[in-house]
Amino acid sequence: MTHVHVHEEHGGPRIESGYSGVVTPPPPAADHGEGPVMTDAAYQKYLDKLAAHPLLRDDNVRLAEGAGKGIGAVLMGVGLIGLALTVLLAFVFNTTHALAAYEVGVFTVLACCLGALFLVMLLNMLNAYWTATIRRQLENIASLVWVPWLLLLPVAVIEVVSGGVLLRWMGDEYAGNVLLEHKAAFLNWFGFLVRYAIYGVIWIVLANGVLGVIPGVCSLSREQDITGDRWLTRRARRMSGFGLLLFALSVPLASFDFLMSMDFRFFSTMWGVYIFAGAVMSAIALTAIVLSVLRTFGRLTGVVTAEHYHDLGKLMFAFTVFWAYVAFSQYFLIWYGNIPEETNYFLHRTTGDWQPLATIIVIGHFIVPFFLLITRKTKRNTLGLGLMGAFLLVMQILDLVFIIRPMVYVEPGVEGPGYVGWALDAVGVIGVLALFGGALIAKIASGPLIPLRDPRLAKALKHKNYV
Amino acid sequence: MASRLSEMKGMIGDYLPGLPRSAPRFVTEDGTRVFGVIATFSTTPAVVHAAELVRDAGYRKWDLNSPFPIHDIENSMGFRKTQLPYHVFGAAMFGVLLAAALQWFTNHFDYQTGEGFGYIVQGKPTSAWEAYVPIMFELGVLHAAFAALFGMLMLNGLPRWNHPLFSSESFLRTSDDRFVIGIEANDPSFDPEATKRLLEEAGAETVELIEEDA
Repeated sequence: MTHVHVHEEHGGPRIESGYSGVVTPPPPAADHGEGPVMTDAAYQKYLDKLAAHPLLRDDNVRLAEGAGKGIGAVLMGVGLIGLALTVLLAFVFNTTHALAAYEVGVFTVLACCLGALFLVMLLNMLNAYWTATIRRQLENIASLVWVPWLLLLPVAVIEVVSGGVLLRWMGDEYAGNVLLEHKAAFLNWFGFLVRYAIYGVIWIVLANGVLGVIPGVCSLSREQDITGDRWLTRRARRMSGFGLLLFALSVPLASFDFLMSMDFRFFSTMWGVYIFAGAVMSAIALTAIVLSVLRTFGRLTGVVTAEHYHDLGKLMFAFTVFWAYVAFSQYFLIWYGNIPEETNYFLHRTTGDWQPLATIIVIGHFIVPFFLLITRKTKRNTLGLGLMGAFLLVMQILDLVFIIRPMVYVEPGVEGPGYVGWALDAVGVIGVLALFGGALIAKIASGPLIPLRDPRLAKALKHKNYV
Repeated sequence: MASRLSEMKGMIGDYLPGLPRSAPRFVTEDGTRVFGVIATFSTTPAVVHAAELVRDAGYRKWDLNSPFPIHDIENSMGFRKTQLPYHVFGAAMFGVLLAAALQWFTNHFDYQTGEGFGYIVQGKPTSAWEAYVPIMFELGVLHAAFAALFGMLMLNGLPRWNHPLFSSESFLRTSDDRFVIGIEANDPSFDPEATKRLLEEAGAETVELIEEDA
């Protein structure tokens, strides 16, 4: 306790004489860096409030026991039949074509998973509170990243064992090629396999963690549902910081390995960004589809509202435009530069049989979604955003068709694929997508539809766009 | 058509100084134009309640002034959505088309007739659309940004030197301890008697007629 002495200043005494007040030292400033801003007791009160929240009752934020089992089994069956047909057609029709069709499906799924993993890490980093109610669906998609990674295993094995099917640089066909020898430090089968393994480790550890050693961002969120430990959110954020760095390195390199190197002469510094932009866009599209289906079946009422949809739609719009910006930048520089190794990529795809697809992608991947998504009505509507998601997912498939399929018949004088070829494309893509759909439905049904004890959930429920 | 044109002329005159203004709807006995009426309130519940009554009476050109932000006031006042995005969109599309036309006419069309620039870079044809895209993008963004900024200012009636409300002592108290609802005379529902009665019934402490200077 300190007695205060009032000194007379130039302007005279400010406090009347006779004052004998006592001041106590101010309380120590809240330490926002290290210690908790909220006491454990206060946080427990918050959790109790969430548990009693009328919107978070079980029949709103959980699927019924065994829900989606039937449709999941049907999708799994369709997927297995589709993959069996792809293998069959690979033997009786064309192995390269079958592998290309299969890869279109696998890379569509991989794009969704990687885009979702990126968004989960980004939203954790940004501490974005409004996303608490939609983040679980992104986590569900991201935590399945092992499925497309595993589906890529046969591709990697077939490429290496058979000496290059779509990745022709692996074979003897181009041995001694100056350009290939120049790139041999990167483009060799051993490095390819090692990198493929490293990508898997990075993605799966970031999403699902290593059992009992490192938790992944998605498993941390599920753990929080049970324990209610608020520090798991912080651990997820810390992990996301490093995770985003590793993600930024692994995804472009993977896209170089599997997609860009299909023509080993071709190179584009925009390639990684191009694939990344499409991946995030398709992850948002798939999330919109999942949320729309859940809301149509009467779940998440009042939890995921038009306000959340509006912001999800803004992200979808942003990444559609971002994809177009990157795609045009890549095309524009290659078109202007006119270097044979680069121009060959677009020359092959914008002339002849592939020209209509190029036009469809420009219109469908950018112009149509630009004008449809720019209005509030589409973004705030359950059916509207769900349909836009489905449309953009189809466009992502077509984009990958545009990247992969023209590499099948590259020899001059070879006949186009014909109807069997289109059927093969269809069964390959639908097979992989159906298999993934079945896995995703099982994943969604296996837990709550939102992170039930997220520290940001109460704020997310009140989220509102003021404009 | 002619009346619509003079109406638009008047709207421009109301905004830009030196041009003939629109005809006043109400004037005082000595001929000065009536800006509107303002009503003062001294508690937040009173002014929020009054705002709801004014909103439900169908007024569109009115405003509420308060010394501090009032939560959820936009619902009590019945804010409508701004029309600005449509202006921005239109301006952006205009910019895109302007850039496309500008480049196509100067670089390709005029060049065919012996004038124009006809820049040939990397052996590309003068009509190659790819080369036009960056300028189309830039002019689209530029026009959109201009429409957003200057459209916002114009829709708010800004910039302006002065405002008729500043002549009222009770309005100036909105920076201290009063809330004010002001209804403008060019609102279609405005009627000097009925509006005054509405505000009084809504619990206004004082209701005051505001004239425009000169």
